[in-house]
Amino acid sequence: MNFTNMMDYHHFPIYAVMVLFLGAFVTMVCGTRPSKNPNNPAGLRAWIALCATGVSLLLLVLLIKPVMLGGETIAYWMGSRGIAGGYAIGIALEVDALSLFFALLIATAVFVSAIYSIRYMVHDDCVPQYYVLYCLLAGGVLGLVLSGDIFNMFVMVEILTFAAVALTAFRTRVYGALEAAFKYLVVGCMGSSAILTGVILLYAQYHTLNLAQLASLIPGSMNNATKLAFAFLYIGFSTKAFIVPFHPLAADAHGAAPASISVLISGVLTKSGIYGIIRLTWFLFQTMELGAMQFMLVFIGSVSMFVCVTMALAQHDFKRLLAYHSISQIGYVLTAVGLSTALGVSAGLYHAMNHTLFKGLLFLAAGAVLHETGTTDLGKLGGLSKKMPHTTVLFLIGAFSISGVPPFNGFASKWLIYQAAYQRAVETNNIGFLAAAVVALVTSTLTLASFVKVTQSVFFGQLPPEYENVKEVPFGMRLAMGILAVLCVLTGIFPNTVMSVLTEPAARAVASVGEYIMAMGFKATVPTPEVSFAHVGVWTPVNWLLILCIALLALTVAALAGRYDQVSASQGENVETKYQLFYGGEQNVYSQVGGGDLFWGFKHNWRHYFDFMHDLHSGVVNDYALWAVVALALAIMYMMIAL
Amino acid sequence: MTSIFLTGLQYLGCILIFPGFLFCFFCGLLLTGIDRKLVARMQKRVGPPILQPFYDFFKLLGKETIVPAAASRTTFLLAPLVGLAALVVIQLFIPIYGFSAFSGMADIIVILYLLLIPALAAILGAAASGSPYAGVGLSREMVTIISCELPLVLVLLAVAKVVGNALGTGLCFSMTEIARYQVENGSLITKLSMIPAAVAFAMVIPGETGSHPFDTAEAETEICEGMHAEYSGAPLAVFKLSHAVKILTLTSLFVALFFGGIGTGIIAVDGVIVFALCVIATALFISFVHAVTARLKIEQVFKYYWTAVSGLALVSLVLAWYGL
Amino acid sequence: MFKKLIEESTAKSPWLFHINSGSCNGCDIELVAVLTPRYDVERLGFKLAGSPRQADIVVVTGPVTKQSLNRVLSAISQVPEPRCIVTMGSCPQSGNVFKGSYSVCAPLSQYVHVDVDIAGCAPKPEAIIDGLAKATEILKEKRGRM
Repeated sequence: MNFTNMMDYHHFPIYAVMVLFLGAFVTMVCGTRPSKNPNNPAGLRAWIALCATGVSLLLLVLLIKPVMLGGETIAYWMGSRGIAGGYAIGIALEVDALSLFFALLIATAVFVSAIYSIRYMVHDDCVPQYYVLYCLLAGGVLGLVLSGDIFNMFVMVEILTFAAVALTAFRTRVYGALEAAFKYLVVGCMGSSAILTGVILLYAQYHTLNLAQLASLIPGSMNNATKLAFAFLYIGFSTKAFIVPFHPLAADAHGAAPASISVLISGVLTKSGIYGIIRLTWFLFQTMELGAMQFMLVFIGSVSMFVCVTMALAQHDFKRLLAYHSISQIGYVLTAVGLSTALGVSAGLYHAMNHTLFKGLLFLAAGAVLHETGTTDLGKLGGLSKKMPHTTVLFLIGAFSISGVPPFNGFASKWLIYQAAYQRAVETNNIGFLAAAVVALVTSTLTLASFVKVTQSVFFGQLPPEYENVKEVPFGMRLAMGILAVLCVLTGIFPNTVMSVLTEPAARAVASVGEYIMAMGFKATVPTPEVSFAHVGVWTPVNWLLILCIALLALTVAALAGRYDQVSASQGENVETKYQLFYGGEQNVYSQVGGGDLFWGFKHNWRHYFDFMHDLHSGVVNDYALWAVVALALAIMYMMIAL
Repeated sequence: MTSIFLTGLQYLGCILIFPGFLFCFFCGLLLTGIDRKLVARMQKRVGPPILQPFYDFFKLLGKETIVPAAASRTTFLLAPLVGLAALVVIQLFIPIYGFSAFSGMADIIVILYLLLIPALAAILGAAASGSPYAGVGLSREMVTIISCELPLVLVLLAVAKVVGNALGTGLCFSMTEIARYQVENGSLITKLSMIPAAVAFAMVIPGETGSHPFDTAEAETEICEGMHAEYSGAPLAVFKLSHAVKILTLTSLFVALFFGGIGTGIIAVDGVIVFALCVIATALFISFVHAVTARLKIEQVFKYYWTAVSGLALVSLVLAWYGL
Repeated sequence: MFKKLIEESTAKSPWLFHINSGSCNGCDIELVAVLTPRYDVERLGFKLAGSPRQADIVVVTGPVTKQSLNRVLSAISQVPEPRCIVTMGSCPQSGNVFKGSYSVCAPLSQYVHVDVDIAGCAPKPEAIIDGLAKATEILKEKRGRM
């Protein structure tokens, strides 16, 4: 095999996965002795992990041209063992625009988090082992989305679950880390077992594990065993996406894990769950035309959206709050996908991408705060904007993005989701979709409220005396956050480019199941539909931004001409009473308004709801395991009756 | 080349003069002045001169600006400017009869979200001041925003549905389209389903602008002006101006949504007509409400908006859904 | 011209901040009385401000008790320039009936420059309005010197 042949882009998907697993192996070979450099205890291993993730990202970016723009579906048989006797016997990778879309998200998040890890992990023990698990996790998720057969999907799910559990428990000294990992292990394994059961049920009936072949065989011959398999697979992937009722796990796992891993759990692992659900509902079982299926996804999405945002409002820990918001945003994605229109899917994928970017940024900012102050308790922090100005600005960009403030990226995608939902409601004359649109709009405001709380409690307000000596985080960490912040702004300002290059090809791939089947060499009976991304709204962020800039410029010039900046501010250490805060004349003492209960005016009216939620989320792993079983039973019942 | 230059000049004129800064400055402050005069007259007082807000504004420009030692200076000083600029830009998107300065650039959902930016700027400025009074104030302001959001969303969805039905497109979000429809077919208020929506929107106006009885965020007698507790001089002047412009923005949005069919087609005359309608809206929904009510507690504000006002908006949405 | 505009505006829009330094509440009630429909001081542009940062005129009532002295002074120092300090009632000027008490620090003029004294126990609303009108002139003058 010569070099040119090796550099054929058809090999790139497998390279992208293998380079990560290879990275894990090489890191392991390097041994476990920490390096002498205090700024990088992992030494060479950190750079290996960084290179592996970087190469992986590069390979996937090179695939944009043929797959996204060219519309090609890459079918790759490992070792050239393909179809024999009409059945797929080899291991296959199948990369269509949807797979590549998710793979790109994952690779970006993994790469940025690797940059961040180098300086972030300096205070920890066993950092060399961290990178082994890190590469395994990354490889597992990437393998999952690129895989072309369902058993390999299960294998990758296992790899990523165990790596994620180990990384959740990585900081064993942190209170609750082991407990969180145990909860995750129990429920995660139930999910994995459910996937395995589903795979077995399918294999027993269709004698194949290849996704494309299953997709060509199943739709015409749905029987009770297939429905059972569907229910098992759906619940299995739900546990990976942490959607309701599996959201309490996310909060524990995100809260305990190092921030660089929270980014992966939130931005990458949940995406793999969503990817699995899309593959199941749209490809494998092709059930999205059914009202029952649309209802299920939109309902669960809306419930996730609303329940988790209210849960987030009640949190008093920075990272747990972010964890609940993750699930809330995943709820948006699920709702949009459940709308079952091309615009809906495109908007949902757009939001999935944005979620990876802004939630990654927010988790990294939370990590920066933890790195410098040693706590993420909202009740103990405050006033950090004076000590960590860059982190504050980066955090604000993330917070504006997630709360859907124009012109950041969260707004662009949420706006499309509202449109899609309302348009769908009008087309089908179905009040349910209308309710979903209203819930989405209100959830967005509650998200903003929640981030105002974080802003006030952590970055503004008054600085507690014990954090007088806090410094700005090292450049490496700021660089990682900066990359994500720039991406957040760019994807918000140029929504049309993002849509035409990334999300619309992916949404088109979702709609054209036939091509996915035929690319593997099987017979497809599904015609490729015409898809349209038309929507009625208008939003031109570039023009708006231009006008805002002109207005702001004019105002600033006027303000500076009026000597707006010539303020009187205190000089020196001993602050005169003139520059102290107004306390009704009293001496200034440390007094910070913030923490978990900032919006009591809202919570007071919802107190019965919050009491109920508080009792429901008991924190006992037995309860959560029971929830999983009940959810599985309900899913089986629903599938049996409705499909 | 010359035509591009002229178009640019025209847009610049729109931003700086009409309906941009200059228009917002004069009409906004005038509206506040009229409001104060009317409230005084309703309370049997003589009241301040109508030009009083102008005096207040220029006086504040001449005052010393103190930045507290505990404040984050840049955010503290920048927040008022961003808030004002964002408000003026929203004003550019609201059509005046048939005329809109920048047509086809934003729809009603976008305007809903753009309205968050000035409030957010005020909140960030308050947070940056470090004052605990401001902390309490911003918490209340945020709850007020949440309160107003649900009825506003329902009203706007109802409007989109009604206009969409009439145009045959099913849905219409574009502000320009809504204005054009009203110019051709008469104001939306003449539709049965739009009457509760208009009432609900009118009830939202005092909440969004933070005037009585929903001024919990700036309650000067209990939390020392709340969010603006540490602001003095020019930044405070900008905040006061923003407040005035916000009244103009919301009332003119109200007029554009429900009374858009009143006009002549000549921009100058229409501007005057819209402003007159804004004055009437201010008098009814801000001054009158101010004169007859006492300040509510924040949880009462929330309850009021999510029950009574949202209920009205929901009625309108249901009526719109069934094509009335 | 702009400077002139600001000067004129300063005279027409004085905002009050009221400090009670241990007063018997008599003067405080009279101060509220000038805001009522009968006297309506708002027609001159007066408004009660909630925070010293927004005030132009500080009105001090009461005999400046020892407990309140530092608090009064720090609140006054937080008022931005140009500012005008008005004492109201006899207490802050002389100590009135409390003069000689171990816990009273009046007169206020020992600690800070006072611009206008409104005498009376309690002063009539007409006297208060007159005093405040004088204060606005001083305010304008101070702004002119800035």
